[in-house]
Amino acid sequence: MASTDRLHAAAFVGSLALVLAAALAPAGLDGRAVSLWAWATWSIVFVVALLVFRRAGLLLPEALRRVGWLVPMVAVFAVPAALLAPAEEHFMVGAALSIRALSAAAMGAAVATWLGPSGLVRAVRHLRLPARLADVFEATLASLAIVLRQVRAMLRAREARRPGFGAWSDLFASPRDTVRGFGRLVASLLLRSLERAEALEQARRARGGAA
Amino acid sequence: MHSPDGFLTAGVTGVTWAIAGVGVATALRAEKRDPNPMPAGVLGATAAFVFAAQMINIPVAPGISGHLVGAALSAVLLGPWRAMIVMAVVLAVQALLFQDGGITALGANTTDMGVGASLAGYAVAALSARWMRSARGCVVGGVLGAFAATLVAAVLTALWLGLSGLYPVLPIVQFMLVTHVAIGLLEAALTGAVLVTVVRWRPDLLRGVSSDAPLASGGALVAGLLGVALAIAAFLSPFASMLPDGLEHAAGRLGFSGRAASGWTAPFPDYAMPFVSSPSVATAVAGVVGTIGVAIVAWGVSRGLRPPDHGLHR
Repeated sequence: MASTDRLHAAAFVGSLALVLAAALAPAGLDGRAVSLWAWATWSIVFVVALLVFRRAGLLLPEALRRVGWLVPMVAVFAVPAALLAPAEEHFMVGAALSIRALSAAAMGAAVATWLGPSGLVRAVRHLRLPARLADVFEATLASLAIVLRQVRAMLRAREARRPGFGAWSDLFASPRDTVRGFGRLVASLLLRSLERAEALEQARRARGGAA
Repeated sequence: MHSPDGFLTAGVTGVTWAIAGVGVATALRAEKRDPNPMPAGVLGATAAFVFAAQMINIPVAPGISGHLVGAALSAVLLGPWRAMIVMAVVLAVQALLFQDGGITALGANTTDMGVGASLAGYAVAALSARWMRSARGCVVGGVLGAFAATLVAAVLTALWLGLSGLYPVLPIVQFMLVTHVAIGLLEAALTGAVLVTVVRWRPDLLRGVSSDAPLASGGALVAGLLGVALAIAAFLSPFASMLPDGLEHAAGRLGFSGRAASGWTAPFPDYAMPFVSSPSVATAVAGVVGTIGVAIVAWGVSRGLRPPDHGLHR
Protein backbone atom coordinates (compact mmCIF):
# COMPACT_ATOMS: atom_id res chain seq x y z
CA MET A 1 0.00 0.00 0.00
CA ALA A 2 2.85 2.37 0.90
CA SER A 3 4.51 1.80 -2.48
CA THR A 4 1.20 2.50 -4.26
CA ASP A 5 0.85 5.73 -2.29
CA ARG A 6 4.41 6.66 -3.23
CA LEU A 7 3.67 5.93 -6.89
CA HIS A 8 0.51 8.04 -6.79
CA ALA A 9 2.33 10.90 -5.09
CA ALA A 10 5.18 10.72 -7.63
CA ALA A 11 2.72 10.68 -10.55
CA PHE A 12 0.85 13.61 -9.06
CA VAL A 13 3.99 15.70 -8.51
CA GLY A 14 5.41 14.77 -11.93
CA SER A 15 2.20 15.74 -13.70
CA LEU A 16 2.04 19.02 -11.78
CA ALA A 17 5.58 19.79 -12.92
CA LEU A 18 4.57 19.12 -16.54
CA VAL A 19 1.41 21.25 -16.18
CA LEU A 20 3.57 24.05 -14.76
CA ALA A 21 6.11 23.77 -17.58
CA ALA A 22 3.40 23.88 -20.23
CA ALA A 23 1.38 26.67 -18.61
CA LEU A 24 4.35 28.98 -18.09
CA ALA A 25 6.20 28.59 -21.42
CA PRO A 26 6.05 32.03 -23.10
CA ALA A 27 3.30 32.39 -25.72
CA GLY A 28 4.41 35.60 -27.42
CA LEU A 29 2.30 38.05 -25.44
CA ASP A 30 5.35 40.27 -24.84
CA GLY A 31 5.72 40.89 -28.56
CA ARG A 32 8.55 38.40 -29.10
CA ALA A 33 8.17 35.40 -31.40
CA VAL A 34 7.11 32.14 -29.75
CA SER A 35 10.30 30.14 -29.24
CA LEU A 36 10.87 26.68 -30.62
CA TRP A 37 11.39 25.24 -27.16
CA ALA A 38 7.94 26.47 -26.10
CA TRP A 39 6.31 24.62 -29.02
CA ALA A 40 8.43 21.56 -28.13
CA THR A 41 7.35 21.73 -24.48
CA TRP A 42 3.65 21.89 -25.37
CA SER A 43 4.00 19.02 -27.86
CA ILE A 44 5.85 16.81 -25.37
CA VAL A 45 3.36 17.55 -22.58
CA PHE A 46 0.42 16.80 -24.88
CA VAL A 47 1.95 13.49 -26.02
CA VAL A 48 2.72 12.51 -22.41
CA ALA A 49 -0.91 13.35 -21.52
CA LEU A 50 -2.18 11.05 -24.28
CA LEU A 51 0.14 8.27 -23.02
CA VAL A 52 -1.18 8.73 -19.47
CA PHE A 53 -4.75 8.55 -20.80
CA ARG A 54 -3.75 5.30 -22.55
CA ARG A 55 -2.28 4.01 -19.27
CA ALA A 56 -5.64 4.80 -17.63
CA GLY A 57 -7.34 2.58 -20.24
CA LEU A 58 -8.72 5.25 -22.57
CA LEU A 59 -8.39 5.02 -26.34
CA LEU A 60 -7.26 8.03 -28.40
CA PRO A 61 -10.75 9.19 -29.52
CA GLU A 62 -12.05 9.15 -25.95
CA ALA A 63 -8.95 10.99 -24.69
CA LEU A 64 -9.36 13.66 -27.39
CA ARG A 65 -13.05 13.99 -26.54
CA ARG A 66 -12.16 14.62 -22.88
CA VAL A 67 -9.74 17.38 -23.89
CA GLY A 68 -11.98 18.70 -26.67
CA TRP A 69 -14.74 20.01 -24.43
CA LEU A 70 -12.20 22.47 -23.00
CA VAL A 71 -11.73 24.17 -26.40
CA PRO A 72 -14.65 26.67 -26.08
CA MET A 73 -13.55 27.63 -22.57
CA VAL A 74 -9.98 28.23 -23.75
CA ALA A 75 -11.18 30.15 -26.82
CA VAL A 76 -13.15 32.61 -24.63
CA PHE A 77 -9.84 33.76 -23.14
CA ALA A 78 -7.51 33.22 -26.10
CA VAL A 79 -9.45 34.87 -28.96
CA PRO A 80 -9.86 38.36 -27.39
CA ALA A 81 -6.22 38.30 -26.21
CA ALA A 82 -5.06 37.35 -29.73
CA LEU A 83 -7.11 40.20 -31.21
CA LEU A 84 -5.34 42.66 -28.91
CA ALA A 85 -1.91 41.49 -30.16
CA PRO A 86 -0.24 43.34 -33.10
CA ALA A 87 -2.11 42.70 -36.38
CA GLU A 88 0.53 40.47 -37.95
CA GLU A 89 0.65 38.24 -34.82
CA HIS A 90 -3.07 37.63 -34.30
CA PHE A 91 -2.98 34.05 -35.50
CA MET A 92 0.33 33.08 -33.88
CA VAL A 93 -0.58 34.47 -30.43
CA GLY A 94 -4.06 32.89 -30.58
CA ALA A 95 -2.64 29.50 -31.60
CA ALA A 96 0.13 29.62 -28.98
CA LEU A 97 -2.27 30.62 -26.18
CA SER A 98 -4.76 27.91 -27.14
CA ILE A 99 -2.20 25.13 -27.47
CA ARG A 100 -0.48 26.18 -24.24
CA ALA A 101 -3.77 26.07 -22.32
CA LEU A 102 -4.93 22.83 -23.92
CA SER A 103 -1.66 20.95 -23.34
CA ALA A 104 -1.62 21.96 -19.65
CA ALA A 105 -5.29 21.05 -19.21
CA ALA A 106 -4.81 17.72 -21.03
CA MET A 107 -2.01 16.78 -18.64
CA GLY A 108 -4.19 17.61 -15.63
CA ALA A 109 -7.12 15.66 -17.05
CA ALA A 110 -4.92 12.67 -17.84
CA VAL A 111 -3.45 12.30 -14.36
CA ALA A 112 -6.88 12.80 -12.74
CA THR A 113 -8.30 10.04 -14.97
CA TRP A 114 -5.41 7.73 -14.17
CA LEU A 115 -5.33 8.23 -10.39
CA GLY A 116 -9.06 8.71 -9.84
CA PRO A 117 -10.50 10.37 -6.71
CA SER A 118 -9.07 7.82 -4.26
CA GLY A 119 -5.62 8.01 -5.84
CA LEU A 120 -5.65 11.79 -5.61
CA VAL A 121 -6.58 11.63 -1.92
CA ARG A 122 -3.75 9.15 -1.29
CA ALA A 123 -1.30 11.38 -3.15
CA VAL A 124 -2.41 14.45 -1.19
CA ARG A 125 -1.98 12.58 2.11
CA HIS A 126 1.39 11.13 1.10
CA LEU A 127 2.64 14.63 0.19
CA ARG A 128 1.86 15.69 3.79
CA LEU A 129 -0.47 18.52 2.90
CA PRO A 130 -2.39 19.83 5.97
CA ALA A 131 -4.36 16.91 7.40
CA ARG A 132 -7.51 18.99 7.90
CA LEU A 133 -7.49 20.01 4.24
CA ALA A 134 -6.96 16.40 3.13
CA ASP A 135 -9.83 15.29 5.42
CA VAL A 136 -12.25 17.84 3.95
CA PHE A 137 -11.06 16.97 0.41
CA GLU A 138 -11.75 13.27 1.06
CA ALA A 139 -15.12 14.00 2.70
CA THR A 140 -16.11 16.19 -0.28
CA LEU A 141 -15.33 13.43 -2.76
CA ALA A 142 -17.21 10.93 -0.60
CA SER A 143 -20.29 13.18 -0.42
CA LEU A 144 -20.18 14.29 -4.05
CA ALA A 145 -21.76 11.24 -5.63
CA ILE A 146 -24.64 11.23 -3.13
CA VAL A 147 -25.29 14.97 -3.41
CA LEU A 148 -25.24 14.83 -7.22
CA ARG A 149 -27.67 11.91 -7.16
CA GLN A 150 -29.96 14.00 -4.94
CA VAL A 151 -29.73 16.96 -7.31
CA ARG A 152 -30.74 14.81 -10.26
CA ALA A 153 -33.67 13.34 -8.33
CA MET A 154 -34.85 16.78 -7.20
CA LEU A 155 -34.65 18.23 -10.72
CA ARG A 156 -36.55 15.22 -12.06
CA ALA A 157 -39.25 15.69 -9.42
CA ARG A 158 -39.48 19.40 -10.21
CA GLU A 159 -39.82 18.68 -13.91
CA ALA A 160 -42.53 16.12 -13.19
CA ARG A 161 -44.50 18.69 -11.18
CA ARG A 162 -44.22 21.29 -13.94
CA PRO A 163 -45.13 19.53 -17.17
CA GLY A 164 -44.52 21.72 -20.20
CA PHE A 165 -42.24 24.13 -18.32
CA GLY A 166 -39.10 22.06 -17.72
CA ALA A 167 -37.17 22.29 -14.47
CA TRP A 168 -36.83 26.07 -14.83
CA SER A 169 -39.02 28.77 -16.22
CA ASP A 170 -37.34 31.68 -18.00
CA LEU A 171 -35.66 34.12 -15.63
CA PHE A 172 -36.76 37.11 -17.70
CA ALA A 173 -40.34 35.87 -18.16
CA SER A 174 -40.94 35.05 -14.49
CA PRO A 175 -37.94 36.12 -12.42
CA ARG A 176 -39.61 35.84 -9.04
CA ASP A 177 -40.87 32.28 -9.55
CA THR A 178 -37.57 31.14 -11.03
CA VAL A 179 -35.39 32.57 -8.27
CA ARG A 180 -37.77 31.41 -5.55
CA GLY A 181 -37.99 27.92 -7.03
CA PHE A 182 -34.23 27.69 -7.36
CA GLY A 183 -33.74 28.99 -3.84
CA ARG A 184 -36.08 26.42 -2.33
CA LEU A 185 -34.51 23.60 -4.30
CA VAL A 186 -30.94 24.57 -3.43
CA ALA A 187 -31.87 25.21 0.21
CA SER A 188 -33.52 21.77 0.41
CA LEU A 189 -30.37 20.27 -1.06
CA LEU A 190 -28.28 22.11 1.52
CA LEU A 191 -30.46 20.94 4.41
CA ARG A 192 -30.44 17.34 3.17
CA SER A 193 -26.65 17.37 2.67
CA LEU A 194 -25.91 18.82 6.09
CA GLU A 195 -28.44 16.65 7.92
CA ARG A 196 -26.98 13.57 6.29
CA ALA A 197 -23.44 14.62 7.20
CA GLU A 198 -24.49 15.34 10.80
CA ALA A 199 -26.25 11.96 11.06
CA LEU A 200 -23.13 10.19 9.77
CA GLU A 201 -20.99 12.10 12.27
CA GLN A 202 -23.28 11.12 15.16
CA ALA A 203 -23.21 7.49 14.03
CA ARG A 204 -19.41 7.59 13.84
CA ARG A 205 -19.15 9.00 17.36
CA ALA A 206 -21.70 6.47 18.66
CA ARG A 207 -19.37 3.74 17.40
CA GLY A 208 -16.53 5.21 19.41
CA GLY A 209 -14.98 7.58 16.87
CA ALA A 210 -13.01 10.55 18.16
CA ALA A 211 -14.89 13.86 18.52
CA MET B 1 -14.83 33.31 -13.53
CA HIS B 2 -12.52 30.27 -13.39
CA SER B 3 -9.19 31.10 -15.04
CA PRO B 4 -7.81 28.14 -17.01
CA ASP B 5 -4.15 27.08 -17.19
CA GLY B 6 -1.87 28.95 -19.56
CA PHE B 7 -3.19 32.49 -19.20
CA LEU B 8 -1.23 33.78 -16.20
CA THR B 9 2.49 34.61 -16.12
CA ALA B 10 4.92 32.97 -13.69
CA GLY B 11 5.06 36.11 -11.52
CA VAL B 12 1.29 36.46 -11.24
CA THR B 13 0.92 32.70 -10.65
CA GLY B 14 3.47 32.89 -7.81
CA VAL B 15 1.84 35.92 -6.19
CA THR B 16 -1.65 34.42 -6.34
CA TRP B 17 -0.45 31.07 -4.93
CA ALA B 18 1.23 32.98 -2.09
CA ILE B 19 -1.95 34.96 -1.30
CA ALA B 20 -4.10 31.83 -1.49
CA GLY B 21 -1.59 29.91 0.67
CA VAL B 22 -1.58 32.59 3.36
CA GLY B 23 -5.39 32.79 3.26
CA VAL B 24 -5.96 29.05 3.54
CA ALA B 25 -3.21 28.65 6.17
CA THR B 26 -4.85 31.42 8.24
CA ALA B 27 -8.22 29.71 7.84
CA LEU B 28 -6.80 26.33 8.91
CA ARG B 29 -5.10 27.94 11.90
CA ALA B 30 -8.33 29.69 12.96
CA GLU B 31 -10.22 26.42 12.57
CA LYS B 32 -7.60 24.59 14.66
CA ARG B 33 -7.91 27.16 17.45
CA ASP B 34 -11.72 26.97 17.43
CA PRO B 35 -12.89 25.27 20.64
CA ASN B 36 -15.80 23.70 18.72
CA PRO B 37 -14.29 22.53 15.44
CA MET B 38 -16.76 21.41 12.82
CA PRO B 39 -16.40 17.75 11.72
CA ALA B 40 -14.60 17.32 8.41
CA GLY B 41 -17.63 15.36 7.15
CA VAL B 42 -19.92 18.37 7.60
CA LEU B 43 -17.46 20.68 5.85
CA GLY B 44 -17.08 18.09 3.10
CA ALA B 45 -20.86 17.82 2.68
CA THR B 46 -21.07 21.63 2.44
CA ALA B 47 -18.30 21.62 -0.18
CA ALA B 48 -20.12 18.91 -2.13
CA PHE B 49 -23.32 20.97 -1.88
CA VAL B 50 -21.56 24.11 -3.21
CA PHE B 51 -20.09 22.02 -6.02
CA ALA B 52 -23.51 20.60 -6.92
CA ALA B 53 -25.20 24.01 -6.65
CA GLN B 54 -22.64 25.40 -9.11
CA MET B 55 -23.72 22.74 -11.59
CA ILE B 56 -27.39 23.80 -11.55
CA ASN B 57 -27.59 26.44 -14.25
CA ILE B 58 -30.52 28.83 -14.54
CA PRO B 59 -31.30 30.06 -18.07
CA VAL B 60 -30.80 33.83 -17.88
CA ALA B 61 -31.34 34.56 -21.58
CA PRO B 62 -31.34 32.40 -24.72
CA GLY B 63 -27.99 30.62 -24.76
CA ILE B 64 -26.81 32.17 -21.50
CA SER B 65 -27.12 30.64 -18.06
CA GLY B 66 -25.94 31.55 -14.60
CA HIS B 67 -25.28 29.62 -11.42
CA LEU B 68 -24.59 30.18 -7.75
CA VAL B 69 -20.91 30.67 -6.75
CA GLY B 70 -21.63 30.16 -3.07
CA ALA B 71 -18.72 31.94 -1.34
CA ALA B 72 -20.93 34.46 0.48
CA LEU B 73 -23.55 31.79 1.24
CA SER B 74 -20.84 29.57 2.75
CA ALA B 75 -19.48 32.51 4.77
CA VAL B 76 -22.94 33.26 6.18
CA LEU B 77 -23.53 29.59 7.01
CA LEU B 78 -20.10 28.59 8.30
CA GLY B 79 -18.11 31.75 8.97
CA PRO B 80 -15.33 33.23 6.84
CA TRP B 81 -12.53 30.79 7.68
CA ARG B 82 -14.54 27.63 7.11
CA ALA B 83 -15.99 29.17 3.94
CA MET B 84 -12.44 29.73 2.74
CA ILE B 85 -11.54 26.07 3.39
CA VAL B 86 -14.75 24.88 1.70
CA MET B 87 -14.23 27.08 -1.37
CA ALA B 88 -10.56 26.06 -1.62
CA VAL B 89 -11.55 22.38 -1.62
CA VAL B 90 -14.39 22.96 -4.14
CA LEU B 91 -12.01 24.77 -6.49
CA ALA B 92 -9.34 22.08 -6.05
CA VAL B 93 -11.85 19.31 -6.88
CA GLN B 94 -13.05 21.28 -9.92
CA ALA B 95 -9.49 21.87 -11.16
CA LEU B 96 -8.12 18.38 -10.47
CA LEU B 97 -11.05 16.21 -11.48
CA PHE B 98 -12.99 18.31 -13.98
CA GLN B 99 -10.43 20.78 -15.42
CA ASP B 100 -12.89 23.55 -14.56
CA GLY B 101 -10.21 26.15 -13.80
CA GLY B 102 -6.54 25.40 -14.24
CA ILE B 103 -4.20 23.64 -11.84
CA THR B 104 -1.54 26.37 -12.08
CA ALA B 105 -4.37 28.95 -11.93
CA LEU B 106 -5.75 27.32 -8.76
CA GLY B 107 -3.91 29.93 -6.69
CA ALA B 108 -5.61 32.75 -8.60
CA ASN B 109 -9.02 31.10 -8.50
CA THR B 110 -8.69 30.39 -4.76
CA THR B 111 -7.60 33.99 -4.16
CA ASP B 112 -10.56 35.34 -6.18
CA MET B 113 -13.44 33.05 -5.23
CA GLY B 114 -12.08 31.52 -2.02
CA VAL B 115 -10.21 34.20 -0.11
CA GLY B 116 -11.44 37.47 -1.67
CA ALA B 117 -15.09 36.55 -2.16
CA SER B 118 -15.44 34.82 1.23
CA LEU B 119 -13.88 37.73 3.13
CA ALA B 120 -15.77 40.43 1.20
CA GLY B 121 -19.06 38.53 1.43
CA TYR B 122 -18.59 37.90 5.14
CA ALA B 123 -17.56 41.48 5.92
CA VAL B 124 -20.63 42.99 4.27
CA ALA B 125 -22.99 40.32 5.63
CA ALA B 126 -21.63 40.57 9.19
CA LEU B 127 -21.93 44.35 9.27
CA SER B 128 -25.51 44.19 8.05
CA ALA B 129 -26.42 41.39 10.48
CA ARG B 130 -24.87 43.22 13.43
CA TRP B 131 -26.68 46.40 12.44
CA MET B 132 -30.11 44.78 12.08
CA ARG B 133 -29.68 42.05 14.76
CA SER B 134 -32.37 39.71 13.45
CA ALA B 135 -32.84 36.76 11.12
CA ARG B 136 -33.92 39.23 8.47
CA GLY B 137 -30.60 41.01 8.98
CA CYS B 138 -28.78 37.75 8.19
CA VAL B 139 -30.73 37.37 4.95
CA VAL B 140 -30.24 41.02 3.93
CA GLY B 141 -26.56 40.73 4.87
CA GLY B 142 -26.23 37.56 2.82
CA VAL B 143 -27.81 39.24 -0.18
CA LEU B 144 -25.55 42.32 0.03
CA GLY B 145 -22.54 40.15 0.79
CA ALA B 146 -23.19 37.94 -2.23
CA PHE B 147 -23.29 40.99 -4.49
CA ALA B 148 -20.06 42.40 -3.02
CA ALA B 149 -18.35 38.98 -3.18
CA THR B 150 -19.15 38.59 -6.89
CA LEU B 151 -17.78 42.03 -7.75
CA VAL B 152 -14.61 41.57 -5.68
CA ALA B 153 -13.96 38.15 -7.28
CA ALA B 154 -14.57 39.60 -10.78
CA VAL B 155 -12.21 42.52 -10.17
CA LEU B 156 -9.49 40.21 -8.82
CA THR B 157 -9.87 37.86 -11.81
CA ALA B 158 -9.55 40.81 -14.19
CA LEU B 159 -6.55 42.11 -12.29
CA TRP B 160 -4.57 38.86 -12.67
CA LEU B 161 -5.42 38.59 -16.38
CA GLY B 162 -4.46 42.22 -16.91
CA LEU B 163 -1.21 41.96 -14.96
CA SER B 164 -0.32 38.87 -17.03
CA GLY B 165 -0.35 41.04 -20.15
CA LEU B 166 -3.36 39.32 -21.68
CA TYR B 167 -5.47 42.47 -21.74
CA PRO B 168 -4.93 46.12 -20.68
CA VAL B 169 -5.66 46.30 -16.92
CA LEU B 170 -8.20 49.13 -16.68
CA PRO B 171 -10.41 48.17 -19.65
CA ILE B 172 -10.60 44.51 -18.55
CA VAL B 173 -11.45 45.56 -14.98
CA GLN B 174 -14.09 47.93 -16.31
CA PHE B 175 -15.50 45.20 -18.58
CA MET B 176 -15.58 42.60 -15.81
CA LEU B 177 -17.24 45.02 -13.38
CA VAL B 178 -19.96 45.93 -15.86
CA THR B 179 -20.69 42.32 -16.89
CA HIS B 180 -20.61 41.04 -13.31
CA VAL B 181 -23.13 43.55 -11.98
CA ALA B 182 -25.88 41.43 -13.57
CA ILE B 183 -24.25 38.19 -12.38
CA GLY B 184 -23.87 39.69 -8.90
CA LEU B 185 -27.57 40.56 -8.82
CA LEU B 186 -28.43 36.97 -9.75
CA GLU B 187 -26.03 35.63 -7.10
CA ALA B 188 -27.58 38.00 -4.53
CA ALA B 189 -31.14 36.95 -5.41
CA LEU B 190 -30.29 33.23 -5.29
CA THR B 191 -28.38 33.59 -2.00
CA GLY B 192 -31.35 35.45 -0.52
CA ALA B 193 -33.79 32.79 -1.72
CA VAL B 194 -31.67 30.01 -0.17
CA LEU B 195 -31.22 31.90 3.12
CA VAL B 196 -34.96 32.63 3.45
CA THR B 197 -35.64 28.89 3.36
CA VAL B 198 -32.77 28.08 5.75
CA VAL B 199 -33.90 30.78 8.22
CA ARG B 200 -37.41 29.36 8.10
CA TRP B 201 -36.58 25.70 8.62
CA ARG B 202 -33.14 25.47 10.23
CA PRO B 203 -32.06 28.86 11.63
CA ASP B 204 -29.50 27.04 13.79
CA LEU B 205 -27.47 26.38 10.64
CA LEU B 206 -26.59 30.08 10.33
CA ARG B 207 -23.37 29.72 12.27
CA GLY B 208 -21.25 32.22 10.37
CA VAL B 209 -23.15 35.47 10.72
CA SER B 210 -25.10 36.28 13.88
CA SER B 211 -25.10 38.86 16.63
CA ASP B 212 -22.87 36.55 18.71
CA ALA B 213 -20.42 35.83 15.91
CA PRO B 214 -17.17 34.26 17.12
CA LEU B 215 -14.35 36.61 18.07
CA ALA B 216 -12.04 34.84 15.64
CA SER B 217 -14.06 36.41 12.82
CA GLY B 218 -12.95 39.90 13.84
CA GLY B 219 -9.79 39.61 11.75
CA ALA B 220 -11.80 38.39 8.77
CA LEU B 221 -14.21 41.31 9.14
CA VAL B 222 -11.33 43.80 9.07
CA ALA B 223 -9.61 42.00 6.16
CA GLY B 224 -12.86 41.80 4.19
CA LEU B 225 -13.74 45.45 4.71
CA LEU B 226 -10.21 46.47 3.79
CA GLY B 227 -10.49 44.31 0.67
CA VAL B 228 -13.76 45.94 -0.36
CA ALA B 229 -12.32 49.41 0.35
CA LEU B 230 -9.15 48.63 -1.62
CA ALA B 231 -11.17 47.27 -4.53
CA ILE B 232 -13.26 50.45 -4.59
CA ALA B 233 -10.21 52.67 -4.23
CA ALA B 234 -8.21 50.86 -6.88
CA PHE B 235 -10.83 50.26 -9.47
CA LEU B 236 -13.51 52.87 -9.11
CA SER B 237 -11.38 55.94 -8.34
CA PRO B 238 -9.97 56.19 -11.91
CA PHE B 239 -13.53 56.42 -13.19
CA ALA B 240 -14.49 59.18 -10.74
CA SER B 241 -15.93 62.38 -12.16
CA MET B 242 -13.44 65.06 -13.18
CA LEU B 243 -16.08 67.77 -12.63
CA PRO B 244 -15.51 70.25 -9.76
CA ASP B 245 -17.05 69.31 -6.42
CA GLY B 246 -19.57 71.55 -4.60
CA LEU B 247 -17.02 73.73 -2.82
CA GLU B 248 -14.90 74.16 -5.96
CA HIS B 249 -18.01 75.05 -7.94
CA ALA B 250 -19.15 77.63 -5.33
CA ALA B 251 -15.64 79.08 -5.07
CA GLY B 252 -15.51 79.47 -8.83
CA ARG B 253 -18.94 81.15 -8.93
CA LEU B 254 -18.11 83.54 -6.05
CA GLY B 255 -14.69 84.35 -7.41
CA PHE B 256 -12.43 83.23 -4.54
CA SER B 257 -11.09 80.06 -6.04
CA GLY B 258 -7.77 81.76 -6.83
CA ARG B 259 -7.20 82.51 -3.15
CA ALA B 260 -6.72 78.89 -2.26
CA ALA B 261 -3.11 78.46 -1.25
CA SER B 262 -1.41 75.59 0.48
CA GLY B 263 1.23 76.01 3.10
CA TRP B 264 2.78 72.65 2.28
CA THR B 265 3.10 70.34 -0.67
CA ALA B 266 1.03 67.16 -0.54
CA PRO B 267 2.92 63.94 -1.28
CA PHE B 268 0.57 63.06 -4.17
CA PRO B 269 -1.06 66.34 -5.31
CA ASP B 270 -4.31 65.68 -7.23
CA TYR B 271 -3.58 61.91 -6.92
CA ALA B 272 -0.57 62.24 -9.27
CA MET B 273 2.21 59.72 -8.64
CA PRO B 274 5.76 60.74 -9.64
CA PHE B 275 6.65 57.31 -11.02
CA VAL B 276 3.38 56.49 -12.85
CA SER B 277 2.68 58.19 -16.17
CA SER B 278 -0.95 57.06 -16.74
CA PRO B 279 -3.34 59.37 -14.79
CA SER B 280 -5.88 56.53 -14.31
CA VAL B 281 -3.30 54.10 -12.91
CA ALA B 282 -1.80 56.88 -10.77
CA THR B 283 -5.25 57.64 -9.30
CA ALA B 284 -5.78 53.94 -8.57
CA VAL B 285 -2.34 53.56 -6.90
CA ALA B 286 -2.91 56.74 -4.89
CA GLY B 287 -6.31 55.41 -3.83
CA VAL B 288 -4.78 52.15 -2.60
CA VAL B 289 -1.96 53.93 -0.76
CA GLY B 290 -4.47 56.33 0.83
CA THR B 291 -6.78 53.52 1.93
CA ILE B 292 -3.92 51.56 3.50
CA GLY B 293 -2.72 54.75 5.19
CA VAL B 294 -6.18 55.49 6.61
CA ALA B 295 -6.49 51.87 7.80
CA ILE B 296 -3.11 52.08 9.59
CA VAL B 297 -4.02 55.40 11.24
CA ALA B 298 -7.46 54.05 12.28
CA TRP B 299 -5.82 50.93 13.74
CA GLY B 300 -3.26 53.06 15.63
CA VAL B 301 -5.98 55.35 17.02
CA SER B 302 -8.13 52.39 18.10
CA ARG B 303 -5.09 50.83 19.82
CA GLY B 304 -4.37 54.12 21.57
CA LEU B 305 -7.96 54.54 22.76
CA ARG B 306 -8.31 50.96 24.00
CA PRO B 307 -8.47 50.78 27.81
CA PRO B 308 -5.55 48.93 29.41
CA ASP B 309 -6.14 45.17 29.62
CA HIS B 310 -5.64 43.97 33.19
CA GLY B 311 -6.40 40.40 32.34
CA LEU B 312 -9.94 40.56 33.73
CA HIS B 313 -11.40 38.69 30.79
CA ARG B 314 -8.92 35.85 30.73
